[in-house]
Amino acid sequence: MKRRLQFWIGCAAVSSLWFSGCGGGDDDKRLNVYIWTNYITQELLDRFTAQTGIRVKFDVYDSNEAVLEKLASGASDYDIVVPTDYMVRILIKQGLLVPLDHGRLTNLGNITAKFRNPPFDPDNAHSVPYLWGTTGFAYNKTKVGAALDSWAAVFDERWKGRILMLDDMRECFGAALRVLGRSANSTNATELAAARDLLIKQKPLVKTYNSSDFAGILRSGDVWIAHGYNGELAKACDEDKNLAYVIPKEGCTVWMDNLCIPKSARHVEAAHTFINYMLEGKNIAAVVNATSYACANDAARLFIKPALLADPARYPDEATVKRCDFLDDLGESLQLRDRYWTEVKAK
Amino acid sequence: MLRAVSWLVYVFLYAPIAVLVVFSFNSERQTAVWQHFTLDWYRVLFRDKLIGHAVANSLVVGLVATVVATVIGTMAGLAMARHVFFGKRATRSLLYLPVIVPEIVVGAALVSLFGFIAMRLSLTTVILAHIAFSISYVALVVQARLTGFDWSLEEAAMDLGANRWQTFWRVTLPLIAPGVLAGALLVFTLSIDDYIITSFVAGPGATTLPLQIYSMVKTGVTPEINAVSTLLLVVTIGLIAAAQRLETSRR
Repeated sequence: MKRRLQFWIGCAAVSSLWFSGCGGGDDDKRLNVYIWTNYITQELLDRFTAQTGIRVKFDVYDSNEAVLEKLASGASDYDIVVPTDYMVRILIKQGLLVPLDHGRLTNLGNITAKFRNPPFDPDNAHSVPYLWGTTGFAYNKTKVGAALDSWAAVFDERWKGRILMLDDMRECFGAALRVLGRSANSTNATELAAARDLLIKQKPLVKTYNSSDFAGILRSGDVWIAHGYNGELAKACDEDKNLAYVIPKEGCTVWMDNLCIPKSARHVEAAHTFINYMLEGKNIAAVVNATSYACANDAARLFIKPALLADPARYPDEATVKRCDFLDDLGESLQLRDRYWTEVKAK
Repeated sequence: MLRAVSWLVYVFLYAPIAVLVVFSFNSERQTAVWQHFTLDWYRVLFRDKLIGHAVANSLVVGLVATVVATVIGTMAGLAMARHVFFGKRATRSLLYLPVIVPEIVVGAALVSLFGFIAMRLSLTTVILAHIAFSISYVALVVQARLTGFDWSLEEAAMDLGANRWQTFWRVTLPLIAPGVLAGALLVFTLSIDDYIITSFVAGPGATTLPLQIYSMVKTGVTPEINAVSTLLLVVTIGLIAAAQRLETSRR
């Protein structure tokens, strides 16, 4: 019965295929890429097509959940996706990614040693690092009039009404747990309750919770201290010398976006070619220069603008990176955190 | 007093749009501070290949969906108004359904349908989805136009020797044309600014203008977005003005 229904609906659908004039053609010479906004340059894709003869279509998304939704639908037609660490973990768990054929990735050795074998994907079996960054805060030096280096700043009464926090459960709890001297990935109920209480106490100090325009609001002067991702904040610091980005001494979250191949991909070979192309130092460096995020590629250092390499907001030193952690899978305690977060937001 | 209140209402309704338009001419990248007048963002906009591609996609989807949905919707509306048949009430309710059902449900349902028949998401699936949710609107508008329709005009035409086909083209369609046109414009407008359903069913190379704008907003609102929104606004207002003129001149 199901087969029959499938057949007839399929017929109806196929008969309308003429709309996009698709079908046919050299199918192995195509690649469909699904990537974050402003995360690759057209020039780089054009060069890839010139080198390999593979034509690239690319679309952009603005959240990891969009990737999950598309891949889980079973109707997706993407060959490359670029999810963040925690989403890679979820996609692997749900069986939505293809194991990578390392034999075809001849440039794999370019990956910086400390970024190999990440906790979210042991041995890089399903993913290869693309760009990474940190989640700290930036502040206005003139307005604040003091040098800040600790998460304590975003809980400080003195900056009441001048603080912006990301509208993000993991990051806000991370800041609170770190200032309490705990791990940002804590699953301990007592520690989480203490973090919740701290966040509730912080709430009257916070001007706004915002995850999309934190850099813009900081620049406008509406807030003096803004919690946020380093890419946007570092750009704001370039434009306004009064601003400074801080990776607090307690450490912060480090995130990494990764190239992966979905199970539903139809051009797996072309996808490997593409990943290998992006692992070439010169190519990933072009992305770094355009986006001002950092890459995890040793061969790229030669081609990256020196100003970017020298900027501690983008390329923090070894010791600083040691203090930062990836977000872990929280398992069951995620629900507890979600409940506590709702309590914070509802106060 | 009343006048003041109505002005306030107008301000409340249109101030955001005015701000959006004004800041599309602002030289500063951050939207919060006014610097000085510039057309740079429109220049940036016209050179932006991604936006160009998204506009092309939106136009293709909008035009195809409008034509197909208008034809099917008009047929449905005519059938509902003209005939009495078994299950008419049920059919009518079914026709209303897509208007009432939340878009997010329609989007999720369409994606599972496409998954079920193993059809890959692409521009085609976007067009199919837009046709699917648009037919009802046309049918409803056409049906509304047909209430109080003088069916004896059709009978007169046929008495005078016209066949059904000729009657439809020469008598019925011209009379209901404003309704059909209004339906078509409604569909085009709905299609061109649909975000939710499209975000579910869009596949490779099928990014439409609303999807593009939304993904750009996530990395900060630049005046380029204000500029593209302003142009979208101008086109929409132009279309509606044209439709209204057309309709009044027909009467």
